[in-house]
Amino acid sequence: MTSTALVPEPLPSWRRYFGFSTDAKVIGIQYIVVAFFFFLIAGLLAMIIRGELLTPASDLVDRTVYNGLYTMHGTIMLFLFTFPVLNGLNNLLIPPMIGAPDMAFPRLNAVAFWMVPVFGFLLIASFFVPSGPATSGWWSYPPVSLQNPLGQLINGEFLWVLAVALSGISSILGAVNFVTTILRMRAPGMGFFRMPVFCWTALAAQTLQLIGLPALTGGAVMLLMDLTLGTSFYRPEGGGDPVLYQHFFWFYSHPAVYVIILPAFGIFSELFPVYSRKPLFGYVYVAVASFIIVGLGLVVWVHHIFPSVAQWMRNLFMVTTMLIAVPTGVKVFAWLGTMWRGKIKLTTPMLFCIGGLINFVFAGITGVMLATVPVDIHVSNTYFVVGHFHYVIYGAAVMGIFAAIYHWFPKFTGRMPYEGLGKLHFVLTFLGANLNFLPMHPLGLMGMPRRVSSYDPEFAFWNVLASLGAFLLGVSIIPFLLNMISSWVRGPRANHNPWNAIGLEWLLPSPPPEDNFGDHVPTVISRPYGYGKDEPLVEHQAEIERALTLAEATR
Amino acid sequence: MSSSSPLSRPGSFSLIALALWIGLMVAISVWMAGQAQHWLPVQASNAAPLVDGLFRFETGVGSFVFLGVVSVVAWTLLVHRAEKYDESDAEPIEGNTRLEVIWTVIPLVLVMAIAWYAIQVNTKLGVLGPMEHIHPRNAQEELGGYLGDRLPAEQVEVIARQWSWEFRYPGRNVSSTELHLELDRPVTFRLVSEDVLHGFYIPAFRLKQDVIPGRAINFNLTPTRVGRYRLRDSQFSGTWFAANQADVVVESADDHASWLKQGAAAPLQSGLSPAVGEYADRQARGPAGWPTVVPAPPPQVNVPGSNSLPHDA
Amino acid sequence: MTTTPMPPANPPAAHGSGHHASHNLTGFIIFLCSESVIFLAFFSGYAILRRSALNWLPPGVEGLEWRMPLINTIVLVSSSLTMVAAEHFKAKEKLWLFRAFWLLTMAMGAYFLYGQAVEWGGLNFGLTSGTFGATFYLLTGFHGLHVATGVLLMGLMLGKSFLPGNYNGGEEGVKATSLFWHFVDVIWIILFVLLYVWRN
Repeated sequence: MTSTALVPEPLPSWRRYFGFSTDAKVIGIQYIVVAFFFFLIAGLLAMIIRGELLTPASDLVDRTVYNGLYTMHGTIMLFLFTFPVLNGLNNLLIPPMIGAPDMAFPRLNAVAFWMVPVFGFLLIASFFVPSGPATSGWWSYPPVSLQNPLGQLINGEFLWVLAVALSGISSILGAVNFVTTILRMRAPGMGFFRMPVFCWTALAAQTLQLIGLPALTGGAVMLLMDLTLGTSFYRPEGGGDPVLYQHFFWFYSHPAVYVIILPAFGIFSELFPVYSRKPLFGYVYVAVASFIIVGLGLVVWVHHIFPSVAQWMRNLFMVTTMLIAVPTGVKVFAWLGTMWRGKIKLTTPMLFCIGGLINFVFAGITGVMLATVPVDIHVSNTYFVVGHFHYVIYGAAVMGIFAAIYHWFPKFTGRMPYEGLGKLHFVLTFLGANLNFLPMHPLGLMGMPRRVSSYDPEFAFWNVLASLGAFLLGVSIIPFLLNMISSWVRGPRANHNPWNAIGLEWLLPSPPPEDNFGDHVPTVISRPYGYGKDEPLVEHQAEIERALTLAEATR
Repeated sequence: MSSSSPLSRPGSFSLIALALWIGLMVAISVWMAGQAQHWLPVQASNAAPLVDGLFRFETGVGSFVFLGVVSVVAWTLLVHRAEKYDESDAEPIEGNTRLEVIWTVIPLVLVMAIAWYAIQVNTKLGVLGPMEHIHPRNAQEELGGYLGDRLPAEQVEVIARQWSWEFRYPGRNVSSTELHLELDRPVTFRLVSEDVLHGFYIPAFRLKQDVIPGRAINFNLTPTRVGRYRLRDSQFSGTWFAANQADVVVESADDHASWLKQGAAAPLQSGLSPAVGEYADRQARGPAGWPTVVPAPPPQVNVPGSNSLPHDA
Repeated sequence: MTTTPMPPANPPAAHGSGHHASHNLTGFIIFLCSESVIFLAFFSGYAILRRSALNWLPPGVEGLEWRMPLINTIVLVSSSLTMVAAEHFKAKEKLWLFRAFWLLTMAMGAYFLYGQAVEWGGLNFGLTSGTFGATFYLLTGFHGLHVATGVLLMGLMLGKSFLPGNYNGGEEGVKATSLFWHFVDVIWIILFVLLYVWRN
């Protein structure tokens, strides 16, 4: 009896990744590579933005160009980088972590992915239409977003709304897939409280997508109708209400930030145990906190629009917003508790996790400041907010994404990444992000609004520092790209468990076969992260390990 | 190999060292809270001390939390690093229910306390209405909406456009593109927009209000410091959004009265709107960007004022 | 290839078409829950705009005629009942009765669409007649799209019912289509109350 499930495959040909495939592992890589392609584009836009902001005057690009740049920077970073890269990680990690052969709906999975280059093309194309791209920020508030000076049907805003709608559909299809997979396809013995935290946070995040995205889509449909068909949902002169759009927009877009950060939380929860050689502290609390965040995350959206709403709404949403600090804090303390009295190994993934944790705590503190209405009235729509959210997104979520890539790179490519380049990437990222985003806080406190193409001279000093940080961040991507390409092409071959980690995915060859465990899914018999406990994770674990080691030795 | 075990009892030396460290963190946090005031502009309205007090408090608490977390991380990196070739696992501590309860309850109490404080401040900021009699200069009494002596509020109509700010004093027949306010006198603004969303934001006052087309929004404040300050558009409003700024002059009652009197007599002329000049230059050069909404013509006002004099904040 | 000890192959019930069929239904139900949120968004937008409007009805419009829409409503709601009957016959393996009631349901759905088109044709206000017109056409139009989709899905299922062995792997297509149809029905009831019953 042969065991196709245990033979490491010859490394897959690069050609697989360029075609239509229904294999979640291929789709996962496709998502991630496409996402980083757009990351570089949006990053380039950021370099131009920070170049303009080196000096107070609007002297680098025309103001309309600047407005298009900042709008597309935000839009591309969110819809073409962040959400796709996270969906890529979901595709790679969820099936092996739960012992499934693939996603519940493999063809739907591929369709959801291939929509990304389509709406990506639409957004990039918007730079080349006569009206130029959308220029009203990634929020696209009416009435300003409805002002179509050229009067043409196919304008930047039109393409923007279309792209965002397609992105929403792609994400909803993905969410249906991820949720069904996690609910229905777990290995025997893997009850919910034996599931890795990454799957808990993925389930939580995708639930938020399912509940929130349709509200955005509805609001966007009405925006498109106003723009193109002359309706007045949001036009005051026709009886409409611009603030109505803001409610629809933020009802989704606040939960969206939890969609972004929850997977990073999941990654930190997976990695701190491995690199501390210690169980995750309070696994059940960490898992449950994910869903408390889901519940609270749906009732805080008004904190984005305090200056537009009545007093009673401000107090109510201030209180709900403050409450989110509690389950989030539980997770942060759990990571600290995991590190405490562990045996810490400062590998590249661990460095990104620690840096991410520190940045996240800082962002959480400014978040609590923003939640309190009196302070928010002063700093909303200023650079204080820009600093806050870049700390969360770049400082925490993106660092989590990098940590995940370095950690699971050997599993899915079959090769080890270079540690030296990885550490260099970390140092440049940590320094660059802090230098770029910390100065934004005094700028906001001093009263510099966001989205400005020029500013009063007293803001120059901190802007110069921020721009230097941005350029450093730009440079930091170089060792990352070099590492990824070089390691994938000629890095040392990886065995099935280079980090000596505990998890179902580490009981598969590197890279895993197309159907992962196939018909031989092991039965899970203990909780995850059992470091130091000398208990196997699954039945027949010793035999599985032996077979893998033997196959690698005879490779 | 063991299941979760309690932390071993720290010796008295460790306790003293810990206490000292916490004391140091408290000291730094208090210092940071003091520093926070320097990051903010001068206080020019009766709202500013309230907002700043809350912000300083949050900075202090936040500094303590941040230092605490960083201390723990630093400690683990110093003391709990794995030995060079040690591949073995650490103690299998899976959790500690008491600790979980502590670090759920304490943050809950803390954020609710901050929320309670913030609601108090918010209520005071929202206490508005011409009949409030509060003395903002009096350290003893609460700061709130209005100066004592029941001064009625001055009425100012604010018209936001793409891209200029027009101020009208309806009782006095004066209009301007430079906002003049009387020291210590409450003012009620009536905010309207002729086109898109704008943001009425004066950092020195710590107040902003979104201006929504189709609505007239009443907004109140009391300036408390003589000087020249910036009003900035804070809600993205199109191409020349960044240039949509105006100056706010807070002056004594006498100066204010004479400004109004001179203004009423002045003929109407074009007010300030940097966007108009930039647009004209842009048209002359040949557009270097994408099509834009044409700026509204500058409002015709009695007193254009200036937006290039040095300002305090 | 050497023989290596390894975990026993999982029992066939763990994988195979039976499980994948139930995955389909799970996925579809999750999708429907998500879809309901977009209707909720449109409903709340409509309610907010209506409550805050000074003059809700555009000039020249007295209100909405409700008798014909009521007939349409009765037809649509009854079609849910005929669909339940159809499924009942299918469970009893009386396929021709199943197809008959299924076709009847489709006809009632098509009638609803026809009635909607007639109503639209007879109205004296358009999409751009203020928020009244915009919300009316958005709500009824989006719902109508769903009715049309439902009729199409039913047609597909009707066609598939003629394929031999179509129901051996579980009848998820029929169950999903019927769930969708009932969903469309419930949405219509809410819509009817909001548009035609709600008087200022």
